[in-house]
Amino acid sequence: MSAVAKLLDRRDRLRRSLKALGASGQLGYGIPEKSLAAGLERAPDYIGADMGSIDPGPYYLGSGELATAPATTRTDLTRLLRAARKLDIPLLIGTAGSAGAAPHLDKTLAMVRDIARADGLRFRLASIRADMSRPLVKEAVRSGRVTPIDSMPLLNEADIDEASHLVGQMGTEAFCRALQADADVVIAGRACDTAIFAAVPALLGCAMGPAMHMAKIIECASLCCVPGGRDPILATLEGDSFVLESMDPERRATAMSVAAHSLYEQSDPDHVAEPEGVLLVRSARYEEIDDRRTRVSGAGWIPASHPTVKLEGSVRVGERAVLLCGSCDQRVIARIGDILAEVSEVVRGLVCRDEPEDYRLIFRVYGIDGVYPWPAPPSPLPREIFILGECIAPIAERAGAVVRTTKQYLLHHGFPGRLSTAGNVAFPFTPPELSGGTAYRFNVYHIMQVDELAPLFPVEIEDL
Amino acid sequence: MKLVELARTVRSKNAGPLKLTLDLLFDDEAAYRRALQSPALEPGAVARLYGRPEGTVEVLPYPAALAVKIVMDRLVVSGDLGDRDVYGAQQHAPLLDLEL
Repeated sequence: MSAVAKLLDRRDRLRRSLKALGASGQLGYGIPEKSLAAGLERAPDYIGADMGSIDPGPYYLGSGELATAPATTRTDLTRLLRAARKLDIPLLIGTAGSAGAAPHLDKTLAMVRDIARADGLRFRLASIRADMSRPLVKEAVRSGRVTPIDSMPLLNEADIDEASHLVGQMGTEAFCRALQADADVVIAGRACDTAIFAAVPALLGCAMGPAMHMAKIIECASLCCVPGGRDPILATLEGDSFVLESMDPERRATAMSVAAHSLYEQSDPDHVAEPEGVLLVRSARYEEIDDRRTRVSGAGWIPASHPTVKLEGSVRVGERAVLLCGSCDQRVIARIGDILAEVSEVVRGLVCRDEPEDYRLIFRVYGIDGVYPWPAPPSPLPREIFILGECIAPIAERAGAVVRTTKQYLLHHGFPGRLSTAGNVAFPFTPPELSGGTAYRFNVYHIMQVDELAPLFPVEIEDL
Repeated sequence: MKLVELARTVRSKNAGPLKLTLDLLFDDEAAYRRALQSPALEPGAVARLYGRPEGTVEVLPYPAALAVKIVMDRLVVSGDLGDRDVYGAQQHAPLLDLEL
């Protein structure tokens, strides 16, 4: 009997009390060992972990690379697979490999198969692809069913063709289909964080308001606690309410900390849009059971009249090279804006003699406005500044040539009042120019209305 | 009084790659009310503080968490050329000096 069949067998009891272990808000960075062990001792009914996000920027979706180190990722996956198989409970992982496109999912699945082989684990594995068919998205654009999110421009067919990878965020429905195929382990491509944790309750017929609210909170592990952290969290869904408890005894889920977590990374904390509906958080109530546990109830759920899918795409913009240097010369610091503009002009003259101006060269000056675009330099000026030069060009050699020329002419640039005629900047190491690999930008961040979600997110089953 | 003398948390983060959201969390009702009533936290004042056009900044009270949320567009889409803060986690600095 599969892990999920065992849950369905006990569905009447589980509808009254269902224990979900939120193992990680970002699988692959390491899971605190003691709190994971504590969570497993509580005999959870299923384990979930989020493995990705759009937060780290467009590089991972564009390149197909993982944001996490392979060795750490493998360790995390091993621990969760062993635990889930030992307890014989479902394990659900969403947004495999940081961004959830085909290469991310395939790399994660290869690790899972390899771990199963090495550890002699036997289970049914479901994988769910999130890559969108480009003709299908184009058709949706043509029929006016794709709308920009926030201030994105309208989507056009070129964007769809140019995106290195184009994914849609799957919802609870896709995970339910995988579980209905008797999967013990579900590894999903790009997915809503909530879907990882809302699928088992949905399958058991639990009320979706509290289930979705619980899912929204525990996908970040113990971040809803004071102090917030990455330790696993246990949520017990009891019909129309759920109880939160961090598996690290130092982290307390208080009424205030849990309520405040609703705001995290949300522009509208009261309405959380999901593919299958909208979670209404404003009506939620938070009651402390003791100093470490809080009970949450009252969130509403409105099923969508038409399902929607959030689309994400990332396009290559060029190759990046960077230059790292600093200065502690007040004369350099006072004139740094002019110096960099003048050096850029000199560089342009040198590298564009026989070639077009096919690159972008920009600087961030830390100490002045490297992090925040302050309208004016500080007064007094900082004692030191750090200069980060960045060039993006069509090929790596070109980007490298631009920053190397920049390095030399910045070092020796003459300016009024200059005393340090042997060099304007200090290099921390050599070479001070580094290749930054391929640069990407998000070119798709849109909502697509669809008739049916299931055909977009196919489930594949394999028995390991 | 400065905002930082009243608030327990002043944080910023992306809400998707195009939006920035700043959360001000308070320990008690009195501090929350006092901050919320300050003209310095009116949407127009926050827009000026961030050098943004009038009408482009939202200030949303969230009483359940004794919190005030500020929402505005990111100046550069997360990770685009010229971005200074991919996660948007360091855009709260102007609020640290804010006088209520």
